[in-house]
Amino acid sequence: MSINESPPLSTGALRVQRMPRWYTGRSELIVVAGVLALATVLLYGTVTMEVREEDVFPGPQFFPALVVVFLYAAAIALAIEVWRSPQRAHVGDDPVEMSDEMLRDLGRIDETSEIRVVSPEDYAATTTDSGSPARSGSDRKTVLITIGAFAGFIVILPVVGWLISAAALFWVIAWAFGSTRPLMDIAIAAIMSSSVQLAFGAGLGLSLPGGFLAGVL
Amino acid sequence: MDQLALLLGGFEVAFTPQNLLFLVIGAILGTAVGVLPGLGSAMAVALLLPVTFSLDPTGAFIMFASIYFGGLFGDSTSGILLNTPGNSSAIATTFEGHRMAKDGRAAKALGTAAIGAFFGGTISCVLVVFFSPFIVRLATVFGPAEYFALAVFAFVAISAVVADSIVRGLVSLGLGFALAMVGIDGMTGTERFTGGSPVLFDGISIIVITVGLLALGEVLHVGSYIRRSGGPGAMVTPTGSPLPSAREWRMILPAFLRGTAFGVPFGAIPVGGAEVPTFLAYGTEKRLARRRGDPDFGTRGSIQGVAGPEAAGNATAGSAMGALLGLGIPTSATAAMMIAAFQQYGMQPGPLLFERSGDLVWPLLASLFLGLVILLVINLPFAAVWAKLLVIPRHYLYAGISVVAMLGLYAIASRIVDLWLALAIGIVGFVMRRFSLPVAPVLIAAILGPLAETQLRRALAVSEGDPSVLLSSPITIVLYALLAVIVTVSVLQHARHTAKRRTADRVGVDTLVK
Repeated sequence: MSINESPPLSTGALRVQRMPRWYTGRSELIVVAGVLALATVLLYGTVTMEVREEDVFPGPQFFPALVVVFLYAAAIALAIEVWRSPQRAHVGDDPVEMSDEMLRDLGRIDETSEIRVVSPEDYAATTTDSGSPARSGSDRKTVLITIGAFAGFIVILPVVGWLISAAALFWVIAWAFGSTRPLMDIAIAAIMSSSVQLAFGAGLGLSLPGGFLAGVL
Repeated sequence: MDQLALLLGGFEVAFTPQNLLFLVIGAILGTAVGVLPGLGSAMAVALLLPVTFSLDPTGAFIMFASIYFGGLFGDSTSGILLNTPGNSSAIATTFEGHRMAKDGRAAKALGTAAIGAFFGGTISCVLVVFFSPFIVRLATVFGPAEYFALAVFAFVAISAVVADSIVRGLVSLGLGFALAMVGIDGMTGTERFTGGSPVLFDGISIIVITVGLLALGEVLHVGSYIRRSGGPGAMVTPTGSPLPSAREWRMILPAFLRGTAFGVPFGAIPVGGAEVPTFLAYGTEKRLARRRGDPDFGTRGSIQGVAGPEAAGNATAGSAMGALLGLGIPTSATAAMMIAAFQQYGMQPGPLLFERSGDLVWPLLASLFLGLVILLVINLPFAAVWAKLLVIPRHYLYAGISVVAMLGLYAIASRIVDLWLALAIGIVGFVMRRFSLPVAPVLIAAILGPLAETQLRRALAVSEGDPSVLLSSPITIVLYALLAVIVTVSVLQHARHTAKRRTADRVGVDTLVK
């Protein structure tokens, strides 16, 4: 009896099977570079640290030195791993943060008798079955808009105050995440930001910035 | 039976109207974040932590604990009805649970899941209360070397199990250490990695790190796929009674017990939370079903396949609370958040907590029992109502999370710079998710890192630099030996799978990875 109309089980996907991404292959070396850069910054910080003379071993530089060595070792190990199997698929680190292979062994998952569990990220795969081609890769536009929305919020918060900036943040993110009713969203955003102001500002006594409305309210 | 008297005293405190209110709020919030896929109890605690500063700590911890338990109650609902588990801890329940739902037994599956969660949670809480005197006695034998061994155990164990390869876990761990070292060194007053900037003298607040990684990172990650994904699949409407019949009770009771037996020990060791025991419980039920020749398992859906993993999942929460309060080690991301909460209130969980803060610990333990009853009451008959949460448009959900995250960040110290730091950490969190680097080790390293450093330096200062002091007591030797076992198993595991994958590649049948 076929239990599920979801994609074939032979993919070995226990849960989230990620689509091949733009980084498929060796672009993961970016992470290695990032870790090496971090280790180098820490190394510089450790060496140039101004330590008082009376601080004997193990002083404030001791633990950072261990971490620096640890980070360099981890970066090299990761580089070797990426180098040896560049095409390794990233199976299911999300929503769970567990080793897929380990869980598969523990649960005696044999890829034929389990239904394929669908993660939110996987909804994409189900829609592609009905015709529209799958666009692989990450939606960089939405991510950049979201980062921009956060940055914009942080910039305007001290100037225009919580009410307006929080409503704007809510509205922009709802729109960027695919809301189709921008006018209705304005109302929801305003309710959201003002109820937070009332509940946490008036209720719990957090001081939220008033901005130019501070004098009016 | 000293502890029973203390527990009864705890019930008196837990029964005050204010604490009951926090308990109910926590239970509702926890179930809600459990039901909603993509939201977890760790994120909920991270978002609530800064806005609960003004509360009394007992109330706040009662709320956090009931969020933790609530998350494990709610997560199976969307798994059973929608085939989309609310959290990773419900994946094992979903296999058989969704099959039962498709077979028209959705209500029964939901009922079994709720009762199983209650059963597992209650037994493990009883065990924690029973074992508490032994934990308190441990306090007397714990010195710096033992604390350091415990922290190392937590660091390496979590890195070994959470990632596809142990290297990825270690990279995340290193990142967490780096974040935790910024600021003025507590022991000597030396500025470390502040770049001379006074805003970093106090270090990066743990709330900035957690909200950035768990909330902002997740919002960015969801943003990277949400516009390309379709809506959720068809939801099964549950009908009929959620209560098992007498015959079914006889089937599920042993499964509950087996699940609890897996959950309790795994809750107390840092292996990332409920996933390992739920899968172990599922595997056991599967093997037993095969042995008895059960035709339902793997076809119509077997009620034991729901009962076992669900009891295992909640059993971990009880013993995780025990490990958290008694030993001060976080065994899951949510437990790590609760350690951060204790630190915010100036308390260090560990063997001394029962002595020093008994007025907090016992009401907290008592409220776990009350919370389980409340959760059973709001989940058993109303699972279908909770499923209605799934119709909330996801864009509003994540817009709301963004606003609450910003509120929390600002609430820490009313500093704009905290918001910028959290945004930067959020971007790092997003990159980590894209590259399959686990986030949990960062949290554990950032929270336990400073403690590990202090204890290590104390131990070495006492021994005048002789590292053999770290291995000088039976407790440390046992901990390091246990750790070696975990690492060996994990490395062998990965090596075996890599070998299998290579063979598969060679014969050209790519069955394992695609």
